[in-house]
Amino acid sequence: MIKVADVTKKFGKVLAVDSVTLDVQQGESIALLGANGAGKSTLIKCILGLLDYRGEIEIQGHNIKENPKFSKSLIGYVPQDPLFYDMKTVSILEFFGSIRGVDDKRINNLLNLVGLEDHKNKLSSELSGGMRQRLSFAIGLLSDPPVLILDEPTSNLDANARGDFLNLVKEHKDQGKTVLFSSHRLDEVYFIADRVLFMKSGRVILDEKPENLASSLGIKVKINLRIPESSIGDAISILNKEGFVSVGSNGSGLYVEVEEGNRALPFEKLIKNNIPIEDFSLQESSMETVINHIEANGY
Amino acid sequence: MDTKNILLIMKKEAGESLKNRWFVLYTICFSALALLVLLFSTMGGDIAGYSGFGRTAASLINLVLLFIPLIAIITGGVSISNERENGTLPYLLSHPISKNEIFVGKFLGLLITIWFSILLGFGLAGVGVAIIGQQGDISGYLLTVLLSALLAACFLSIGFLVSVYSGKASKAIGISVFLWLFFIILGDLGIMGTTVAMDLGIKQVFALALLNPTEVFKVASVLVLSPRFEILGPVGVYAIRTFGQQGVFYLLFSILIFWTLIPLGYGYLVFTRLRREEK
Repeated sequence: MIKVADVTKKFGKVLAVDSVTLDVQQGESIALLGANGAGKSTLIKCILGLLDYRGEIEIQGHNIKENPKFSKSLIGYVPQDPLFYDMKTVSILEFFGSIRGVDDKRINNLLNLVGLEDHKNKLSSELSGGMRQRLSFAIGLLSDPPVLILDEPTSNLDANARGDFLNLVKEHKDQGKTVLFSSHRLDEVYFIADRVLFMKSGRVILDEKPENLASSLGIKVKINLRIPESSIGDAISILNKEGFVSVGSNGSGLYVEVEEGNRALPFEKLIKNNIPIEDFSLQESSMETVINHIEANGY
Repeated sequence: MDTKNILLIMKKEAGESLKNRWFVLYTICFSALALLVLLFSTMGGDIAGYSGFGRTAASLINLVLLFIPLIAIITGGVSISNERENGTLPYLLSHPISKNEIFVGKFLGLLITIWFSILLGFGLAGVGVAIIGQQGDISGYLLTVLLSALLAACFLSIGFLVSVYSGKASKAIGISVFLWLFFIILGDLGIMGTTVAMDLGIKQVFALALLNPTEVFKVASVLVLSPRFEILGPVGVYAIRTFGQQGVFYLLFSILIFWTLIPLGYGYLVFTRLRREEK
């Protein structure tokens, strides 16, 4: 569905995208991860035909350089910070709908789908961040394109708006749309992506399934356990003996780092040795952890 | 190019301009001043061969020379740079619409709105003249309207050329105002200064005047309205003797078209072929 062959993009002397090749199948969902400046947005802009580049990009077999208008008609794009003309919400949809040859019925359906029916007469400047992002998503869906490209679409949203937005994306992914998105959040990657591409210095340095990401990178989950002060010493000894390397006291109990998929193991070992566990909390791996890990290990 | 997309952009540009408070203010001011000019011009009798429509048009020429180039060049200047600065241009370009369609649609949309304000100003003044019942050369008046429309097209296209090179609207406005000053004030002074300093002959002064579209408009308008060639001075007499009255008019008319097409064509080339929206 999306073929990127040996694409290179330079800004002056800076190599933003360096010989990237990737093939996204129909219905597949790809997450682009990486630190700021890794080349994710630049790659997306190349795929959208917004930037000049070396190499070839095809959308459903249509070369974006040779047939830009048709190629773009196959893509629905949701930018990080959607910037609209200062028009009414419905007028914006009608404007982009006219470009994509869409009728009013489709526009009304989309307003309902993204929950903007009651706000359709508001100016775009009067919409909240979440509403603007939903409007942007509705614009992306106008002509029901087979490909959705989202550039850090939730970075400016609060938790509720993010959840709503991700559900919308997931729903369309499940309906068979090909999705390419960049993100800074691991939970989004786990929720939507079938494959994760990690970019560093303009290159794709890792191509992995999300469920294997943590294990293939050796990323661990930190578990904080609250146990009686008198048992902390014994508990640390037991966990060390059981092979847990990163174990230590944290004031009200102890912490232990485990690999993804083994979260229950320290509980099992401590209960078996009659160490009472009063409470616990999990410290999931953040994107920063993943980025730092990959940067440090030079993947 | 898809005509549907061009019309869509034209409609958007015209709609936005008509909602723009500066543009509305300009249109009101231009119309109000046109009416004032009419009022003052009807106070006297036949002055220098002008009466009725002719005198109104002659009075409006100075107004046109001041207002139209300024509004046209600034409108053109911010047309693309503003969208580039706001980030709406890359977003628009992510949709199935070409830069060619955007450029043409924007130019035509803005040109129509500027023409609308010119027609409103001249129209009000024309209606005023008709109500007062003054007679005059209506064809000269209409030709002045046509020349004003052409002057607007000329400065709008210069503004577009400024805009395609500008990443920010403020920069585009700055360059546009400088160019306006250059053409309106410095152009006149430049011709006078160069003529005196280099002791230029009539032929050279005429050629020098042709380089400035506002001078071309001025000469063409006077030529259209005046039955007396000597009102243009020795340079005008030389021009009319060399090319004939019609010939001079066609020459000046062609130069205004040239001043419209060259910046517009070059701006189009830069926008659609040479410059990518890299940010």
